[in-house]
Amino acid sequence: MMTADNFTFMNSDEKNQLQLERLQSTLNRAYRNIPFHRQRFKKMGIDLSGIESLAHISTLPLMMRQDISDNYPYDLFAVPLRDIVRIHTSPGTTQNPTVSGYTPQDLTNWQTILARGLAACGVTAHDILQITLSPGLSNWGRDYKYGAEHLEAGVIPHTPMSIEKKLMVLRDYKTSVLVTTPSSALQLADYIRKNEININALELKTLILTGEAVDDIQKQTLEKAFHAAVWAHYGLSEVPGPAIAFECDAHKGLHVNEDHFLPEIIDPETGMVLPDGQPGELVLTTLTTRAFPLIRFRTGDQATIIRTGCACGRTFCRIDWRGGRTDSLINIDGVKVHKKQIQRSIQDQLHLPSDASRFFIKKRDEKKYIEVWIPVNDDIFSDEIKDLETLILKVENNLLENIGIPVVIRLKEKKSI
Amino acid sequence: MLRIRNLKCYYGRIMAVKGVSLSVKHGQIIALIGANGSGKSTLLESICGLLPDWKGDITFEETPLKGLDPPAVVKLGISLVPEGRLVFPPISVLDNLKLGAYTMYRKRRHGEVSRTLEKILELFPILKQRAKQPAGTLSGGEQQMLAIGRALMSHPKLLLLDEPSMGLAPLIVEKIFHTLETLRNEGITILLVEQNAQAALQIADFGYVFETGNIVLQGPATELLEDQEVKRAYLGKDYGEFYDDGR
Repeated sequence: MMTADNFTFMNSDEKNQLQLERLQSTLNRAYRNIPFHRQRFKKMGIDLSGIESLAHISTLPLMMRQDISDNYPYDLFAVPLRDIVRIHTSPGTTQNPTVSGYTPQDLTNWQTILARGLAACGVTAHDILQITLSPGLSNWGRDYKYGAEHLEAGVIPHTPMSIEKKLMVLRDYKTSVLVTTPSSALQLADYIRKNEININALELKTLILTGEAVDDIQKQTLEKAFHAAVWAHYGLSEVPGPAIAFECDAHKGLHVNEDHFLPEIIDPETGMVLPDGQPGELVLTTLTTRAFPLIRFRTGDQATIIRTGCACGRTFCRIDWRGGRTDSLINIDGVKVHKKQIQRSIQDQLHLPSDASRFFIKKRDEKKYIEVWIPVNDDIFSDEIKDLETLILKVENNLLENIGIPVVIRLKEKKSI
Repeated sequence: MLRIRNLKCYYGRIMAVKGVSLSVKHGQIIALIGANGSGKSTLLESICGLLPDWKGDITFEETPLKGLDPPAVVKLGISLVPEGRLVFPPISVLDNLKLGAYTMYRKRRHGEVSRTLEKILELFPILKQRAKQPAGTLSGGEQQMLAIGRALMSHPKLLLLDEPSMGLAPLIVEKIFHTLETLRNEGITILLVEQNAQAALQIADFGYVFETGNIVLQGPATELLEDQEVKRAYLGKDYGEFYDDGR
């Protein structure tokens, strides 16, 4: 019987048949079990028996982040709650958090996907793998842990810790593989440089970067700083997880796990599918997900599909992903946020008009954060500095708790904004 | 080995199979499970050339089956064990078996036929004992064995079985399914249509779940046996076991 890893090398004819079979049953299940999809298909007069090839998927409606929010929390689940064994919640980018559910089968699939992505970076049972991600990506931390355990690697699971402690673990525990975001890796590299830490004391040989795209300059910086090979993974922080696409040793784009996901590139303006090789917005359809299927989900990520053969021999198509967005989401250390979320939160707490504040992405010691300028009005103003500081702290803490990324508030005179 | 893409079957204006795609790989047992009327048997009939009105593509070892009549399909190496056995009651067990080799007789391969016959009687010793009896006097289980034996007479590469467990006692079902495993191990590929999902998935390598003419789920048989949805719908588990609130 075909094992999971034979899939990566299947010929295009076999792959096409497998994807079509899985797409058709995904659509049939979604139609039967999820009123949201059924109503949309019915309204548009879509007959699912007409989906006779992968290209026909373009006749189906696109799914947005807003649809997930509108169906909060469980209305997009395709199985009864009793079948769900894990519920993930991520801050989301709309009014409601994003809730995704997993059946036992879904978890097994994710484990296979992650194990495949890690194995492609050369991770084996002899490795010690350390996971350090931002709190907003802790769901991914769990997925990486299960994937690495599947390969029988030793795992140091994701735990929030200071940079000193991270480095101590990295050195003392003889970590050979580090899974982190490019921002965190750069921050760590900066710390190592400033504190003149002997890099040769580390056993690190592989750096797996996820959450954000890494450009060539950053890659070279990191390779030099850590004396380690750098690999990129692509995932969705909201749904359903990391390593949807992974880099192989050719390092020429990221292979999409096409036995589990069907990628398309659309024109973000018109929603039309673009020919291969043209940059546009990445749209994903899940092919094996049982609990929380996505049908033509707009990721907002800018990418290009490469369908030509890869030197590694894998037949999965690749995406060229540089981190650009087709929407106004901001990616901070792998966590995506929408300005509106921050605006809404500030508005609720300070009763300010939603368009009053201004936003900046800043870096301190290579650590990215969002700085928000808030205009001071009579309600906020106090002649006690202490009161103002308390107010700022309260808003900052609230944002960190709700969105999972650091936000710095600056109170400004109205006319300077 | 066998590949189906977007199969649509019609009974008059009613679409009984609504765009089904599936594949059967060499040396595997593939189970199609689903409730009565979900379109499973219709699918088998369209493979065998018994149902003329279908759309889509069916290819067997790269040969399209569109427009082929049943004898031509048998010649390619596909045999059907039909639902309800359909043995010929008045004629003897031996003659029933020989009828399964009509394509071989036509090719004047008599020697080969008798060797195959020997082998089948070895596989089902009870048929040897009853060789001279009219087939109508056999029990249900024996008739099922005869129907399988008859299908094997043409040396199929792919054996299609339609509800072989129907109306049989559990012990007999076990015996027949054990025979299917033996046949698979000998290199015969098997496409098994069954309402008895438990028994079918236990011997199958891969399974597809049918529902009102559509496939709603597929996967390795071990996975489907563990699947809550499959358990609820097809493995005869009580809903009470799944919902605490009695949904």
